[in-house]
Amino acid sequence: MASDKTDVVTESFEVKKASKLSVLGFLMALPPMLLVLCFVGLPILIAFTFSLGFTAGPNRVVSIIGQEIHKKDHWWGTFAAYKDVFHDSRFPGDLRTTLLVTLIATTLVLSMALGIGIYQRMIGGRLASIMTTLTLVPLFVPVVIASWSIHTFYAGDGFMRTFLSHFGIDFPTLTSTSSAIVIGTIWTSLPFAILMVTSGLQSVPDALIETAQDAGAGFFRIIRTVLVPLALTPIVIAGTFTAIGIMGSFTIPYFLGPNQPTMLGVEISNFFGSYNRPQQSIVMAFIVFAAASGIALIYIWANVRSAKQSGRI
Amino acid sequence: MSQAPKEDGLTLDGLTKVLGGRVIIDNLNLVVKKGEMVSLLGPSGCGKTTTLRMIAGFLIPDKGDIYLDGKDVTTLGPEKRPSAMVFQNYALWPHMTVFNNVAYPLKVRKLAKPEIERRVHEALSLVNLMHHKDSRPGQISGGEQQRVALARALVQEPDILLLDEPLSNLDAKLRVKVREDIRDLQRRLGITTVIVTHDQDEALSISDRIAVMNSGRIEQFSTPQELYDRPETEYVANFIGSLNHIQGGYSQGQIVPGSEVVGIRPEDVIFSTTQELGSYPTTVELVVPRGHFCEVYLKRADVELRAFISSNVPAAGSIGFARISKALIYKDGKLVRVA
Repeated sequence: MASDKTDVVTESFEVKKASKLSVLGFLMALPPMLLVLCFVGLPILIAFTFSLGFTAGPNRVVSIIGQEIHKKDHWWGTFAAYKDVFHDSRFPGDLRTTLLVTLIATTLVLSMALGIGIYQRMIGGRLASIMTTLTLVPLFVPVVIASWSIHTFYAGDGFMRTFLSHFGIDFPTLTSTSSAIVIGTIWTSLPFAILMVTSGLQSVPDALIETAQDAGAGFFRIIRTVLVPLALTPIVIAGTFTAIGIMGSFTIPYFLGPNQPTMLGVEISNFFGSYNRPQQSIVMAFIVFAAASGIALIYIWANVRSAKQSGRI
Repeated sequence: MSQAPKEDGLTLDGLTKVLGGRVIIDNLNLVVKKGEMVSLLGPSGCGKTTTLRMIAGFLIPDKGDIYLDGKDVTTLGPEKRPSAMVFQNYALWPHMTVFNNVAYPLKVRKLAKPEIERRVHEALSLVNLMHHKDSRPGQISGGEQQRVALARALVQEPDILLLDEPLSNLDAKLRVKVREDIRDLQRRLGITTVIVTHDQDEALSISDRIAVMNSGRIEQFSTPQELYDRPETEYVANFIGSLNHIQGGYSQGQIVPGSEVVGIRPEDVIFSTTQELGSYPTTVELVVPRGHFCEVYLKRADVELRAFISSNVPAAGSIGFARISKALIYKDGKLVRVA
């Protein structure tokens, strides 16, 4: 009986201690949560209501200044601004350019990161280290400067065309094309992708690769069946981060891209600033957000897969 | 290059390996007969894993040759050698099921699907793991993972099985069980096996022969019994089992002044309460229980000795007689006589 009482006392003490700790943990996490809620969550919510035609309250001033503002005609709002955007002749081209550039640049960035990462993991040596170090250089070059240098390099009077004209080659002008955006986004996205992919590949234990070798597998089979599947989570995460970054990019498409069609980041700025159509610009932002959310689902899938493999869930 | 050996099994001929400017393996010679189970035993850093990795093909020796069943495989990569290795941490691929882990080597060899299924089922039945064929490595215990790794090696039907400290991650009870399983399988299949271990108990209990390694060389290559009864060097005598290590000479059951080293196994020190031929008066200094026996510290006029006594254990402080039934006498590290 005495033992039972002791157990109950100990248990209640432990419950109290755990609940105290959980309150303390919540209080510690509260400031950043409040910060995100007030300075990110709330503006997003207000912008979303504005896109649905809620023009009162915090959206009142922008509704007075902006053009082609639609006011809600139902209790839940209106889709008029969304209709505007989908019926705008520029939007399909912009959306297509955004998705295409995102897809091509992400594929190229991931391929390059995988190539360098696999080379370093499987072969190693000085050349691999030099290559990895060189690919990190763009991290330290501001995007504006990189964009300008790419601009002058591929411009009509730029280095490439000037140099190749000496050999009778008419190199195309890439500046102000989607190709220039792809080149620019590769420049900015590659270092981070390489860091993620390389660390993922390096974390695959030697023994798992050696076992495959011992089982008779060749170089490419080991990469296909052991190395890449085991590093799939960081590879997918690198891919999703790269894609979301490219999809929402502004500086590079603004400096290097064409006027029309252009990427949605630039078009959102045009609609907001130049055309004074804030409601439509916010609608575009939510369409980009929806596309990015689709990519984020892949990110979540990768994390869940990783947690399952390591037995965390 | 020396002439290829005619006999089957494994032959290491003058292997030398330098890593990071340090000689790790120094002119190592070893012949493992077909169907034999040999342990490479030694402390950490003695070169036993390096030797195994050279046999497997993960390292190429700087000098010397490796022959498998009379064929020179020295420069062949691991994927081309007829060997299979079980790694210390099992190295199971976590993204594959147990079945796929075991089937992998067969898929690499592009065998037909029914053949793969048949052989994988055979291998998994051999290690009693058919019920786990659809589990992932993370869902099974350490001992089961070890057996999957073993099945994956056996399914390849290799000429030689290489085991790199395969039991070191298991707890003491499971280790005994799995090592018996390994020995049983090895005997049934008659597969030539080299096992690396630093655990002398493990080596003594499962090996046909043991190669005791020291600083990249083999100190002695003998059967477990011979290694224990007649260690050829002072190093082996100290490494295998317990030893009373005494500086001096040995004459008529007594330690006398001298320049030799006398090695006496604690179980070769016989304590009794009555005087026998060759026994001398002794005081029991300390008794340390060690489970099924006691470690007893004895003091004689000529020497202090440790004895292992399992029955009629004397009390500390009591007086009796101690006799040395066997002594190993070493000079310059080599065995000169057994008295």
